[in-house]
Formats: sequence, C-alpha cells, structure tokens
Amino acid sequence: MTRTEHDRWSEDLAAYMLGALEADEAAELERHAEDCERCRSEMRWLTAAVAALPEAVERLEPPPRLRDRVLTEVRADARAAGVKTASAEGGFRRRVAAWLRRPSAGSRDWRPLAGLAAVAMVVVALSGYEIGGGGSDSGGPLSTVVSGHSPGVTAKVVREGDAGELRLADVKKLPEDRVLEAWVRRDGEVEPVKALFVPDREGNASTTIGDMRGVDLVMVTKEPTGGSQAPTSSPIVSVPIPQ
Amino acid sequence: MSVRREKAERLADEELMPLIGAKDPEAFEVFYDRHGGVAYSLAYRIVGERAAAEDVTQEAFISIWRSGARFDRTRGSVRSWMLSIVRNRAIDSLRSKAGKAPKLTFDDDAVLEQRPSEELTEEEAMRRETATEVRGALGQLPGEQSKVIELAYFGGFSQSEISRMLGIPLGTVKGRMRLGLEKIRGELAEGLA
Repeated sequence: MTRTEHDRWSEDLAAYMLGALEADEAAELERHAEDCERCRSEMRWLTAAVAALPEAVERLEPPPRLRDRVLTEVRADARAAGVKTASAEGGFRRRVAAWLRRPSAGSRDWRPLAGLAAVAMVVVALSGYEIGGGGSDSGGPLSTVVSGHSPGVTAKVVREGDAGELRLADVKKLPEDRVLEAWVRRDGEVEPVKALFVPDREGNASTTIGDMRGVDLVMVTKEPTGGSQAPTSSPIVSVPIPQ
Repeated sequence: MSVRREKAERLADEELMPLIGAKDPEAFEVFYDRHGGVAYSLAYRIVGERAAAEDVTQEAFISIWRSGARFDRTRGSVRSWMLSIVRNRAIDSLRSKAGKAPKLTFDDDAVLEQRPSEELTEEEAMRRETATEVRGALGQLPGEQSKVIELAYFGGFSQSEISRMLGIPLGTVKGRMRLGLEKIRGELAEGLA
C-alpha cells in the first residue's frame, strides 16, 4: 500500500497536539491539515485528551497575594483606559452629534433608529411600577421602573437612586463577533454606557447605567466585539424614560 | 458583592470574554476566581517553584486581560485557551532556566503539602471528577507512554529531544505519544457514555 501524505503527517499529530513538534514542523503540519479533513478530524478527537491533561494536575490554592497582584494591575489598566475614554469624550460627543445629523439619520430624536422603530421600537408601558414592593434586589432602594418590549425582546429599566439597571429578556443569541452596547440620550446627546454585555443562555442580559440623571431614552444596539464609539446598527430595543 | 460582579458570575466564560475585551475589571475578577486555581496548579506543575509559578500565572492572566478580545471560540473553550497560554508561558520560563529538569510524575510530595482548594462549585466538582478519570487513565498507561506524554506536555520537550533523552527511535516516541493520547481519549469517551 502506498504511504500517503496523510499517513506521513498522521504520525506527528499527537506530538503536534502535545506541543512537541519543532516550530517549522508544526507549521508544515498545519499547512497540510488545511487540506486534509482526516487530519483535522483526528486532531478534533485528540483535543479532549490533551485538554484534560492540565485538569489532571493536583489542584493547589493559589496564594491570595497572587490574586492581589493580578487584580491590582488589571484595575490600574482599567483606570488608565478610563482616563483615555474621558479625554476622548468631547470628540466622541461630536462624532455622535454628527452621526445624528446625517441626512439618512433624520434631524433628531433617533430618526435613524426610528427607521428601525417600525420594526424594533419598543411598545413602552410608561406606567412605572415597583418591583418587590419598593424593596431592592441589589441592596438599594428602587424607584421608577419602566418596561417595554420590542418584537422578541422585553426591556426594563430599573431606577435606583441616580443609577439604573437595564434588564433585557428574550434576546436572541448574538453572532460570535457581536456584543450588546447600551446608549443613553441626555440633553439631546447620545452617550454610550461603558460596559458591554451579552445575553446569557436563557436570553437574559443586563447592564448598569451609572448615571440616569437627565436621561430620556435608553437604547441597545448590537456592536462589534469591543464596542463602538457610536451606534452602528439599529437598536434592538429602545426605552423612553419619563422625566 | 456588587451587582455587576453578581451579574458577571452568572455568565459563561465565553460570555465573559467580550466584557474582558471591553476592559471590565469585575468580569476579569470573576474569570480569575474561576480559573486562577487550575492555572497556578498547572504553572507549578511545570516550573516546580512557587515564586516562578506565581510569575507565570500573573503573566498569563495579564496577557489574557490585554488580549481577551482575541479569543476565538471556534478553536476550543476559554478554559483550554487560557491553560494553553499558561502552559506556553511556563515552558518558556522553564527553558529560560538552563539545566532545569522537568518534573515527571503526577504524584508530587511538594504539591501535596500545599493546601488544596476547599470551596467547590458544581462545575468545579465535575472538572475534578474528570481530573480523577484522567489521572486514572494516566495511571493505567504503560510507563513508557505516560513518560513521553509528560515530557512533552509538562516538560516542553520536542519529540526529537525526547528520542535523544530516552535513547529510543523517533518513531517509537511518536507511537507511544499517539497510543497514550488515544487511551486517555478512550477513557474520557467511556466516562461520558
């Protein structure tokens, strides 16, 4: 029987999966595997075995100082990123204002989004109500709750002091390269809500709105991973906030 | 516990990654608390020193924090991806120390002296069950098969290096690696059946 190209590389698959091929050999195998379904299939089969190896290591409790070291560096990074965001805020506001002024966007009040409105704008129940009899599920007193839904999506904005929480339900699974980004309108200007979020397996998603003061509209769009400086798609839900 | 932290805890790893990519420190904190233990354990298993294991773990997690948005979910789970980063960093650390011999057994007295983690989530308990299965499968492997797998995965040696170290033909190393992994995979498949 003739020894095939697959036979030749198949012998090296285990070493490749274990990281035991030299770099040039690994690169050559990868090139071969691009066109060899049998190799890819065998690699998929062996993946679980290799992935299990680190799980078999005797488990240790990492020292608390390690957690402190890691998270201290992460928070410092996040703060630095926050400074950059703040310094870019003026430019951002100008870009959003320009975006809203685009001819296709209409003159104001989310017209571009209103185009979506026929399809996606929520039917808003403006009669606020309280959850839990005025209690709180997060430690602080709740005040206004606004709820509504767009086709297929239910939204609630729970006011908690100056902050708020946007809760979505029945959100469809997102494409892998998309996240949800929330936006608020305040004094006629659109601002992003910093944290990006994604629905869980049940289609629930929520995010905190740090400052609800003066906000008259909350909206959610699907954006590329990492978020956008300005909305790039029609909102999946939009909730007017009574003043 | 903050509301944001509570929310992040409800998300699967794959759902946390976009938040980490957007530089959400609370999402990352949840991610570290889920995987810091296994990451540190793997790093220690490879480098064999606590201080070096801490450095490796820290470097790996900071690397993930700064590149989290680059996770490609089509190439496996977040946990496997994270562990491959830890493993690569640990092997780099090991190689940078000339003459450092890899640890070759799964039963290591120094490891056992340390206090194991006590709080178990259901998911963690399942992972430990898998770990027990894998340890069992490894224990049942002929010594020559487990040795080449350990030298490769935990020692960072290439198959050619292993061939020279053990004084056996390269083809034999390849065969033992393959048979060993097939055996582990078979045991895992049986466990799922």
